[in-house]
Amino acid sequence: MPRRDDVHRILVIGSGPVVIGQAAEFDYSGSQACLSLREEGYFVVLLNSNPATIQTDHRIADRVYIEPITVEAVERIIARENIDAIEPHMGGQTALNLAVKLKKSGVLDRYGIKIIGTPVESIELAEDREKFYEFLKTMGEPQPARYKIRRDNIEEDIASIPDSPVIVRTSFSLGGTGGSIARSRQDLKNMAENLFRSSDIDYLEVNESLEGMKEIEYEVIRDSFGNCITVCNMENIDPMGVHTGESIVVTPSQTLSDVEYQMLRDSAIRIISGLGIQGACNIQFALSEGRYYIIEVNPRTSRSSALASKATGYPIARIAAKIAAGYGLHEIRNPITKSTYAAYEPSLDYVTVKIPRWPFDKFSVDRTIGVQMKSIGEVMGIGRTFEEAIMKAIASLDNAFSSNIRMHASDEELWKLIERPNDRRLFAIFEGLFRNFDTKKMARLSGYDEYFIEKMENIVEMLKHVEIGHIPENLLHLKRIGIPDEIISSFCGIPADAITKYRIEKNIMPVYKRIDTCSGEFEVVVPYMYSTYEDEDEMPDLKGSIMIIGSGPNRIAQGLEFDYGSVKAILALRDMGYRSIMLNSNPETVSTDFDVSDALFFEPVTPEYVINVINRSGCAGLIVQFSGQTGQNMAKRIEDILGRRIVLGTSTESIERIEDRTVFSKVIEDLGIKQPPFAIAENENDTVRKAVSLGLPIILRSSHVIGGRSMEIIYDMDYLADRAREVFTISKNVLVSKYLENATEMDVDFVSDGSSYNICGILVHIEEAGVHSGDATMVYGPGMVSREVEEKIENIVESMVKEFHLIGLSNLQIAARDDDVYVIELNARSSRSVPFISKATGVDWVRYAVECMMGSKITEKRTEAKSYFIKVSVFPFSKFSDMDVVYGPEMKSTGEAMYPGRTITEALRKSLQRSIRSVLITVRDEDKPRMVDIARIMLDKGIKIYATAGTARYLNDHGISAETLYRVRDRREPRILDMISGGAIDMVINTTEMTAGAVRDGFKIRRMCIMRGIPLIMNVNLAKAYAESLGPIPIDYREIGEYL
Amino acid sequence: MKRYLITNDGTVISGYGYGSPVTGYGELVFTTSMTGYLESLTDPSYVGQILVFASPTISNYDLRKGVMESERVKVSGVVTRDAHIEFPAGGLGTEFDRFLMDEGIPGIDGVDTRLLVRKIRQGGVMRAYITDDPEKAKIFPDPMAENLVSKAVEARGIRNIRGKGEKKLLFIDLGSKKTLRDMMLDHFSLTVASVDSDLDSIDRYDAIFVSNGPGDPDHPSLKPVVEFLRKNIGVKPIFGICFGLQIIALAYGSKTYKMKFGHRGSNHAVTDGSRIFITTHNHGYAVNPDYVKDFRVSEYDINDGTIEMIEDDMMMAVQYHPEASPGPHDTRWFFSEMRRRTEDATKG
Repeated sequence: MPRRDDVHRILVIGSGPVVIGQAAEFDYSGSQACLSLREEGYFVVLLNSNPATIQTDHRIADRVYIEPITVEAVERIIARENIDAIEPHMGGQTALNLAVKLKKSGVLDRYGIKIIGTPVESIELAEDREKFYEFLKTMGEPQPARYKIRRDNIEEDIASIPDSPVIVRTSFSLGGTGGSIARSRQDLKNMAENLFRSSDIDYLEVNESLEGMKEIEYEVIRDSFGNCITVCNMENIDPMGVHTGESIVVTPSQTLSDVEYQMLRDSAIRIISGLGIQGACNIQFALSEGRYYIIEVNPRTSRSSALASKATGYPIARIAAKIAAGYGLHEIRNPITKSTYAAYEPSLDYVTVKIPRWPFDKFSVDRTIGVQMKSIGEVMGIGRTFEEAIMKAIASLDNAFSSNIRMHASDEELWKLIERPNDRRLFAIFEGLFRNFDTKKMARLSGYDEYFIEKMENIVEMLKHVEIGHIPENLLHLKRIGIPDEIISSFCGIPADAITKYRIEKNIMPVYKRIDTCSGEFEVVVPYMYSTYEDEDEMPDLKGSIMIIGSGPNRIAQGLEFDYGSVKAILALRDMGYRSIMLNSNPETVSTDFDVSDALFFEPVTPEYVINVINRSGCAGLIVQFSGQTGQNMAKRIEDILGRRIVLGTSTESIERIEDRTVFSKVIEDLGIKQPPFAIAENENDTVRKAVSLGLPIILRSSHVIGGRSMEIIYDMDYLADRAREVFTISKNVLVSKYLENATEMDVDFVSDGSSYNICGILVHIEEAGVHSGDATMVYGPGMVSREVEEKIENIVESMVKEFHLIGLSNLQIAARDDDVYVIELNARSSRSVPFISKATGVDWVRYAVECMMGSKITEKRTEAKSYFIKVSVFPFSKFSDMDVVYGPEMKSTGEAMYPGRTITEALRKSLQRSIRSVLITVRDEDKPRMVDIARIMLDKGIKIYATAGTARYLNDHGISAETLYRVRDRREPRILDMISGGAIDMVINTTEMTAGAVRDGFKIRRMCIMRGIPLIMNVNLAKAYAESLGPIPIDYREIGEYL
Repeated sequence: MKRYLITNDGTVISGYGYGSPVTGYGELVFTTSMTGYLESLTDPSYVGQILVFASPTISNYDLRKGVMESERVKVSGVVTRDAHIEFPAGGLGTEFDRFLMDEGIPGIDGVDTRLLVRKIRQGGVMRAYITDDPEKAKIFPDPMAENLVSKAVEARGIRNIRGKGEKKLLFIDLGSKKTLRDMMLDHFSLTVASVDSDLDSIDRYDAIFVSNGPGDPDHPSLKPVVEFLRKNIGVKPIFGICFGLQIIALAYGSKTYKMKFGHRGSNHAVTDGSRIFITTHNHGYAVNPDYVKDFRVSEYDINDGTIEMIEDDMMMAVQYHPEASPGPHDTRWFFSEMRRRTEDATKG
C-alpha cells in the first residue's frame, strides 16, 4: 500500500524536559520519526519544550515550536500551521497523555485532526489499567491478582487484601512514580494513607507482587495490515520487583529456552494484535517455571525500544513512523542492510548488557532500588560473550567501579547488598565471587539466574590469578574474556595507560565486528561496529576521518545537552566533506544512531577504547569538546599514550591548565582579572585556616569535577571540617574561594580560533550566585546585561582566548556585582548551555566551533537578542522521598525547558503553565522586607495572599493583607498542608536558611508542592520576576525562528 | 584441549574441544536461531552436516528445557563461540559437554563463528572436519551423495498412531521431527511409513504427507517416493513440509537446485504479497522457479524470492517449518488448513 495521502502536515509531539523515567531516548525516537516522515514528503511540525534536543533543530523538522507541551499550545499550533495529523507515540508518556487529553477536550474533533499510528482508543485500552485488565481477561491472558483501595473505603478494602507483598500504584504512571511495594498489611495501610493525602486520586490499584520472577520484555512492531514482528526480547537480570529502567538488562535473552521464548512471543503478538497497535509497542512479562504473567504494555516507543534499536540495529522508531504513514512491514526496507526488508526479526551474534547509571554519587539518598525509577541514564556494552559485554558496560559507567570492581565491605554487608536490590548489587556479587561465596546461594538471594553468576565467575577466576607488579603474561586471554585495561591495572598495579601502550607494542588489539540485524547472513552496508578479541576484522577504510567522542551515560550535569553538540559536530564535519567517526556508549542518544555518522563505534568512552579505534581506523583527528567533562579528563592521557597530538581545538596542555583549579586561579591573578578572593589548601587543617582568613561563607572546589561535585557553599565551621575531609579523599588540593553574596551569575559561551572570538550569548541567572549554573533559572534577552558588564566580559574573553589559545567552544562563568565582573570558572569545551543559546540565537555555534577546530578563522558575527528565552530546570525531587528540595552549588536538576516570549513576562508566564489565583508566602527573616513589594504587586493583580505566621505578621504590619496558615503543631486552622493538598494554593514562595543542619520546617511544604506539581519559587529575585508576570497578559506560541 | 576445524578450502581454525573426541565430518552450515540449540542439534534434517551456531552463547540455559526433535543428536559436529564450558562450576556447561560426549559428537568452542558465517555466505557451503588430528582431514567427499535419509529415519517400517483427528494421514517419514508428528496428531490419525516401506501396499488413508528430511531431494534413493507421489497427484490430497515440498515438486516434474548456503534460522519472513509470516527455515535446496509445473507459487521469501509455498486444489506444501521448534509459531494454521482441505476432499 502506498503512503497515506489523507494527511499532509503532521505535528510530532516531543517529551519535554529530561526527567527520571523519560529522558534522551525520546530525542532519539522523536528525531528518527521526524526524519522518517519527512523522507516520505510530509511537512513536519515539532513541539517540544526541551531545547537541549537534536529534535528541535531545523535539520530534523520543518517547523519547530519550543513551547510548553499543553493542550492550549497544541490547539494554537494546529490553527496557525494547518495541522491535519498528530504523531504522539514518539514523546513518551507526556505526548501520549496529551493525545488522550486532546481527544477528551474535543480539540481533535474540532479541527478534524487524525492521530496517525496506533489509534487513541488502543492507547487508552493499554494505558488505563482497569480497561487493560478487562481486556486481558477477555483474551484469556494471565495477569497478577489485583485489588483496589477506594478513598472512601480504605479500611475495608485493605482488609480484603492478603497480608503478603503487593505493589501499589496509580494509573498513568511515568517511570514508576507512585508505584511501590508494600510488604505487609500495615505497610499497605501507611502507604495508602500517604498517597491519598498527597494527591487527589479516588482509588489506588494494588497488584499481587511477582517479586523474584524473571522479567522479560518484547519489542513488537505491528502494521495496519496486521503483520507483526518482534524486534527482540530483553532479559532483566534483576528479577521482578525492580523497574526495568533500574534493571541490568541483557539482549537477547540468555536463559530462556525456545519453548519459553516462543510462548511469550505468541502472547505478545496476541495482545498487540488484540489492542490494534499500529507501530511500536513494548510488552513486559513475568516468567517462572513455564508460567507467565503480563505486567505492562507501552503502546509507543520507549526507553526499551531505544535500547532495542541500538542492541539490534533495527531502528524501531523509524519503522514505526513509516507504518504510521501507511506502509506495511513488507514494503519497508531494512535501513542497515538496504537489501532486506523490515519484515524480519533480527538475529544477534553478540550479547548486549545495559546497566543503569544512578545519581547516588551526587545525591545522598536511599540507594535501594525497586519499582520506582531512580536512575538518570544508562550504558550499553556489546561483546561476543556476556563477559565481554558486561565488562564494557562497567567500563562505560564512568564511576568508581569502572576502574576497580572490588568492594570494601564485610561479608555480612555483602550478603545484605546481594539480597536487597540496590545500585551496587552487581559488584557485591563480584566481590562475593572473589571471596568464594556460594554461587547458588547468591543466585537464590539476588534472584539472578545462576548462568549470569557463573559468567561473572569466569571473569573473577581470570582476575584471581593476576599477580601484582607486572603485566600478566596471559594478557591476550584476559582481553579475550573482555576485561578492560583499567580493571587489569587495579589487579596488577601497573597503570592502565602503560598496559594500553604495551598492548599496542605487542599488537594485542581487538578486531571490529558489525551489527547487522542478521548475524552475518546478509551483506551489511552500514558500519555500526563493536570491538572484540577475535580473528576477522570488518573495519571499513576510515583513514583520515575525524573522530568525535560522546559523553557516555546521561547523569546529573552531563546529559542530553552534550549529545546535541556531538551530533551537530558530526553533521558539520559531514557537510565540510570529512568522514566522521562517532564513539559513545549511551544507547539513549541520537549520536549512537548509526545513520548519523559515517561509522559508529558503540564502545566505552575511555582512553583504552578510544585509542583502540584510533589505532585500527587511522583517523586523523579527535574532537573531545562535545564529550563534557569526560573528554576533558582523558584528552591528555590519550595523547600521552599515543605519543603524538591528535586532539583538535584547544590543546590538551591548555585543557590541563584550565582544569587544575589552583593553576587556573593563579593564571587569572597574573592576568589581572578579578575573581572572588581565594586560597589554595593542601590538607584539611589548611582548608579550615584558609577559610577563616577569607571569612565565611566560602566555596570549596576541587579539580576535574563533574557538575560541581564536592562543591558547596559553606556557612559554618563544623560543616567546613566535614566537607574538607571528604574533598581530600578525591583531590590533592582544593581551591577555597570566597562566596560572593548578592552577585548575579552569568554563563558566557564563546567560539574562538586561538586569537579572535565570537560571544554566542550571555545567559543571566535569575537567582543570585551560588545556585549551580545547571540548576539556575536563566534568561537570555535584550537589555539583561549592562554595557559596562558586557565590555568587561569581552575583555576577559579576549585575554582568555589569547592566554590559553582557545580554539573551538568554551564556556565562562562569571559573577557580576556593582558592575564588577569576577571569573568563577572557565571550561575549554562545549557547555550545557550551548544548545539553549544556539536555539535562542538561531546560530549553529557548534558548526562555527568545528570550523575553527579544522583550521578556519573566525568571521565576526554579532548576535542581538530580540526576544526573551527563559531556561527553567527540572528536578527529580518527586523520585527521592528522602531528598530535600533545596538548591545550591551541587547540581541536582535532570533537565531543562525553554520558554520563549516577546517580553520577559510572556516567557515567565509560559513557564508556569497554569493560572495563579492564590500564593502562599513563607520566607526567612532577611527576605521579608523585599517580599513586601512583591506581595503588593500580586495583590494589585487580584491574587489572594496566604502566609505562615511570621511572614503574615510582617506583611500585615507593612500594609499587605495576608491570611495566616498554620503548621500542624500549632493546632489551629486553616492548616498549610490541608490548604495545599486541597488545591487552594496555586503557587508557593519559600526561602530557607542554607545552613546545613538547620531545622527544616519547610521540608513538608516543599515536598507537597513537588508531589502535586505546584510551582515552588525558592528565591526572592525569581519571585519578583514571576509576580510581575502574573495577571492577564497575552500569550502567543510561535515558531522558534519568529523570535529571532 | 585443542581441536581443529578444517575446511575444504584449506582453512584451519583452532579452538577448545568438547563433547566426544571423535572426528566429525560433514557439510558446514550455520543457523542464526538464537534459541533452541537442543532442538537444532537433534533435528534429523541436519544429518550429514556440521552445525555452526551464529548465536555466540550456547548451552546458556538448561539442556532439559529444550525439546529432543529425535532420539539422538543428528549433526556430525558442533561449532560454537561460547558454549559455557570453560569454567564448569558444576552446572550447565559440564552437562552439555557430557551430553555430546555420550552422543559421540565432537564440539569445538571459542571459534570466531561470525567469520565462518561470513565465509559461507560469500563462498557457499563448505565441507569440514572437526578433529583433534589435522592429519585426518585429507579428502573431502560430498556428504550429500550419501543416503542421508536412511540415516535420519529412526523408526523403520509402517506403524499406526491414533491422533485427535478422524482423518487418516499417510505420513511419509524422511527423517521427521518429533514436534512435526505431534502437531499432526492434533488433527489426524497417522500411518507413519519410513522411506523404505512399500508405500503402494498401504491402503485406507485420506491424504498423504511428506515430511522434512536431510540432503538432496533428487537423490536416487528417493525415486520410489517421487514415483508414488506422481501416481497420487489429483487422486489424494498431498501435503508436504520443507524437504517434502521439494519432493512433491519433483513429482510434479519440477526441478530443484542446491542453494549457495541455504536458509537456516528462525527469522525468515515469507509473504503472499500482503501478509507476512516469520518462519523457521532449514533447507539447503529449493525449487527452481524456472520449472514451476502445474501448481502455483503462493508464498515466497521476502528477501531472496525463494519459493516458500506451492499449491493446487489437491496439494499444499511449504518450504518453511510451521511446526517451528525452534522458532516462531506464526504459521501453525498450516495444520488446521491441511485438515480442512482433507475433509473437503473426502466429503463426497
